[in-house]
Amino acid sequence: MDPLILGGFVALATILVLFSGISVANGLLVVAACFLLAFDGLRSLELMPEIFFGKLDNFALLSIPMFIIMGASIASTRAGGDLYEALERWLTRVPGGLVISNLGACALFAAMSGSSPATCAAIGKMGIPEMRKRGYPDGVASGAIAAGGTLGILIPPSVTMIVYGIATETSIGRLFIAGVVPGLLLVGLFMAWSIYDTWKNGSEEALAVRQYSWKERFEILPRVLPFLFIIMGVLYAMYGGIATPSETAAVGAILCIVIAMVIYKMWSPMAIWAVLRDSTRESVMILFIIAAAGVFSYMLSSLSITQSIATSIGELDVNPWVLMLAINVFLLVAGFFLPPVAVILMAAPILLPIVTGAGFDPYWFAVVLTINMEIGLITPPVGLNLYVINGIAPDIPLKTILWGSMPFVACMIIAIILLCLFPWLATGLPDLLMGPGV
Amino acid sequence: MSGSLNQTAVSPTGGNAFIRASNGLSSLCGIVSASMILIAVIITCQMIFVRFVLNLSTIWQTEAVVYLMVSATLIGLPYVQRHRGHVNVDLLPLMLGQKIRKLLALVVLIASIIVICIMLFYGFEQWYVAFKKGWTSDTVWGVRLWIPYLALPVGFGLFLLQLVADLVSIIMGYEKPFGLEEKL
Repeated sequence: MDPLILGGFVALATILVLFSGISVANGLLVVAACFLLAFDGLRSLELMPEIFFGKLDNFALLSIPMFIIMGASIASTRAGGDLYEALERWLTRVPGGLVISNLGACALFAAMSGSSPATCAAIGKMGIPEMRKRGYPDGVASGAIAAGGTLGILIPPSVTMIVYGIATETSIGRLFIAGVVPGLLLVGLFMAWSIYDTWKNGSEEALAVRQYSWKERFEILPRVLPFLFIIMGVLYAMYGGIATPSETAAVGAILCIVIAMVIYKMWSPMAIWAVLRDSTRESVMILFIIAAAGVFSYMLSSLSITQSIATSIGELDVNPWVLMLAINVFLLVAGFFLPPVAVILMAAPILLPIVTGAGFDPYWFAVVLTINMEIGLITPPVGLNLYVINGIAPDIPLKTILWGSMPFVACMIIAIILLCLFPWLATGLPDLLMGPGV
Repeated sequence: MSGSLNQTAVSPTGGNAFIRASNGLSSLCGIVSASMILIAVIITCQMIFVRFVLNLSTIWQTEAVVYLMVSATLIGLPYVQRHRGHVNVDLLPLMLGQKIRKLLALVVLIASIIVICIMLFYGFEQWYVAFKKGWTSDTVWGVRLWIPYLALPVGFGLFLLQLVADLVSIIMGYEKPFGLEEKL
């Protein structure tokens, strides 16, 4: 059978299987096993466990559980609340200062954690009740946190960037730096919208300027500074060429646990076990998808599907920007239904040769892809962050959270357009710090 | 993707001894898996200390932490399954009536069981060959490969057990298919 037609069948089968409600990783294994059995014979199945093991046998992947532990240990304390409180005390003159502080806290937390739901939960737990108490509409309070949480996968360290780096064999360090400026750009756009929205629709209470004394401003700093030092330490270790992302993440994980114990008095072994337990669950879930997607892409290339898709799209000779638009629409739709890690693992190895063939930068593409995935996190039907917020504030209807998030989706689309117009927003900083890319 | 959020959900046992036993084993797997990850973190820190502070070269650490992580993943599979932590897309099940939903849940579980049986069978074969032929990794440390490969049959075996327990629990009606409440 022609590999392209076969590819169509694989795509159809994958959609059907994944929609059946089977877990994503098992679903990928089922599809891979069926097609290998049908087109390559029984003996090809014997390679499946070997490939599964081989995909995980990678030192770079170690950074995933480590960064998750970092995020989980801080999220288990009230550090998220301290972060936004500190920002609020220092940002009193801005209208909608509390939303701004929460968005800033999301960005800072994202710089300590590689995961969006973790960022959402850590800041939202304290931030949403406080914003509602102070008269912000439910939609604004929940939407801002849902959107701010998505920064977790763009601002380094980022689990999805690690996965992209591994799937496409690009430099994880460089991917991390590529996410910095677009991450800040998104924070800026989110904040700009929030200021405008509060100024236009906010209650008097929300617009009221709170006064803090200098004493109040300084007394909160000791609780926040250690985390800022960790962020700077992680960045310095990674970009100073001192340590690999995995090594840095291990030190960061230990430091965050120590800080949680010393500053937030998390001494109880049960509390530490809870952090480890939750991190293990999330890490195993992600690593299982990575290994299963490895078996899936082995099946694709063993049946020559990956290669023929890249070749035939290359021969189409379409305008690169039309191609990029089509890819974006595809990623957006895939992101609506699947978790970012699964989309990246399945799509990135196939798309990257096409994208680089059309003259785009692989690191720039990683950023665009990630923002598409961020949109998927706050849009139905499976926007993970919407459900996280729903878990934190069960009395806010899902619909209100959803409508509150929509303006932020528009901000993300604007960010993608800006990145297309000015690609140096993503590539400039890596070029500056690490020299021009290949 | 309710799976990843429903972190506190645990599969109910309905007092069934087999389900209770497999749930207990899966919990034990969780402790083993979390400990492996913690040990990997500590060894990585030790490696950094040896390399950057003592200025010595490291021999076994990188390989050890990677194998610990692979094993933690495989051994952690039944634990995550027990806590419904493997993400899924439950759009279609949500739209179905209770009867068809149960049927779909059975089909999904049986498909998972078959594919994990394949992984278990060939995973065992891989471990056995490595053990029989005394394979070692081609590094300075030269670890005997049957040791890390042991995680393949053990992890997939216990995962299979948990999946069968979940199947029994759905058939006996102890648990709602896909953990979803009936439509109102």
